[in-house]
Amino acid sequence: MGAGAGPQPLFELPPELAIDTDVAQRVMVGFIRNQLRQAGFSRGLLGLSGGIDSALVAFLVAEAVGRESMLCVLMPYRTSSPESVDHARLVVDELGCASDLVEISEVVDGYYGRDGELGAGGAAAREASQLRRGNFMARARMCVLYDRSVLWGGLVVGTGNKTESLIGYSTVFGDSACAFNPIGDLYKSQVRQMAVAVGVPEEIIRKAPSADLWPGQTDEIEAGFTYPELDRLLFWMIDKRRTDEELLAMGFPAAAVARVKRLVAVSEFKRQVPPVAKLGPRTTGVDYLYPRRRPGSAR
Amino acid sequence: MQPLRIALAQLAPRLGVLDDNLATHRQTLAAARSGGAGLVVFPELGLTGYQLQDLAAEVAMRADDPRLLGLAADADGMSAIVSFVEEAADHRLFISAALLEDGEVRFIHRKLFLPTYGLFDERRFFAAGDRLRTVESRLGVRLGIGICEDFWHLAVPETLALDGAQILINVSSSPGRDLAAINEVGLGTAASWRTLMRTYAQLTTSFVVFCNRVGVDETISFWGGSEVISPSGEARFTAPLFDEGLHFVDVDLGDVRRERIGLPLLRDERPELHLRELRRILADRADMTIEAASEAPDEPEQP
Repeated sequence: MGAGAGPQPLFELPPELAIDTDVAQRVMVGFIRNQLRQAGFSRGLLGLSGGIDSALVAFLVAEAVGRESMLCVLMPYRTSSPESVDHARLVVDELGCASDLVEISEVVDGYYGRDGELGAGGAAAREASQLRRGNFMARARMCVLYDRSVLWGGLVVGTGNKTESLIGYSTVFGDSACAFNPIGDLYKSQVRQMAVAVGVPEEIIRKAPSADLWPGQTDEIEAGFTYPELDRLLFWMIDKRRTDEELLAMGFPAAAVARVKRLVAVSEFKRQVPPVAKLGPRTTGVDYLYPRRRPGSAR
Repeated sequence: MQPLRIALAQLAPRLGVLDDNLATHRQTLAAARSGGAGLVVFPELGLTGYQLQDLAAEVAMRADDPRLLGLAADADGMSAIVSFVEEAADHRLFISAALLEDGEVRFIHRKLFLPTYGLFDERRFFAAGDRLRTVESRLGVRLGIGICEDFWHLAVPETLALDGAQILINVSSSPGRDLAAINEVGLGTAASWRTLMRTYAQLTTSFVVFCNRVGVDETISFWGGSEVISPSGEARFTAPLFDEGLHFVDVDLGDVRRERIGLPLLRDERPELHLRELRRILADRADMTIEAASEAPDEPEQP
């Protein structure tokens, strides 16, 4: 299974992570169609960042519902890399779908303040860390997307991948918020493999992944791992249930195993619905267990 | 020649929408009849969808439910296997498959093995069946019916063959998973099922009919790939993965005799040896004497 065309591979694909892209595409496209149909919708929308994850989802949604039934929302902040918007436009042009540009700078600055002026968040917000601001941006984008979803009459399609979900590299109720997620069980390396298969523009596949929450930020610098290393470790640890001892024997560094285990454990709360205190005879998620979509649940 | 035309109804049931699924079954039975089918096989829980959870009780039918009898009337002149949530007289819920023949419910198999691990949670919502019998069909041969996980236990196809089945039928709602590129058809689940079904056909020298659903329930995508396998273990027909469709497959039931004469595996089975060793194993496990362990339990009643 090659990782892209030509002599120079587009990315490094650990062999054990290679998937059958035809089958995967079939499953994900069918999943998108079904989720929308069961909910009584025919349209979808997503936040398009210019990165590979949302680009892949855009291509899949386009195949599932047709370009006329999808909307891509571009939501840059004033410090976002201009390249991000360029790359997002590349996807929109390639697919020929509707798009909306909503700058979130005023929303975010309105809370944190700007140029010495206090915002709605007061003095406590002025000195906010990059992390706090980044989380706020992710949630501002969520608010915009859900608002636009009413206008568009569609469901918000999630764009988070399995790697970032497992290590908790996502903002709870921010970028992870969605009606359903077709790529949430694909590791980043598999997202890259799929992106090549569906024809995502090469410059998007080649560039270093970044949350683009502050200038110069890249996922791999922030996490301290390359994606192929991290994906392999997560795959053997979680999907293949290898113990720590077995992982060490396979050659994974002890420090990496310990760190990733901790990241996964610490972020468990982000992957689950918040628990409800059990009081009554039947409690949602505990002993009131219905499919999310059932007769009568479509709008 | 003992020709039989088998119709595989590789459908995508709508979750919890019994009326729609009944209508689809009726249309499919009509199409199977015009196609000249003698045996029509529908997938596991084709009348209700799979991922029911607490909906199971709401879509359950008694074995004498008029809707089921209506389907039996629609199937008249053919043998049809349909699957639904069965509510017993004591209100236990079973995943059941009914053989419809001559306008009546001829036979019901209740799923024996309820997977409750990994992505499965069946034992939480359903009771397990407790008998395994073949049934004489209007086709002139005995049928052995299993539901999905039933065929992940060796004793099931073996027992059905020893009980006289010449056609083993498995109706499934098998969720597709493991997309590793090294898999035979790009899907680990499909590769496993194919290996199992070919092996059972060869070892029991019987036809194996596998009908698996397609479509999506919640997070799960069902992969289809329904098959008919000859008593020599060769696939006579393989349906496409993930596509809905009604597929006709012509077989010659005379192949069972030819295979069993040439390869008399079933003749050479040693059920008495198997039973003796099973009794010993059970006694060892329970730390009992063989005599105590082999006292036959009362025949379970079908309520």
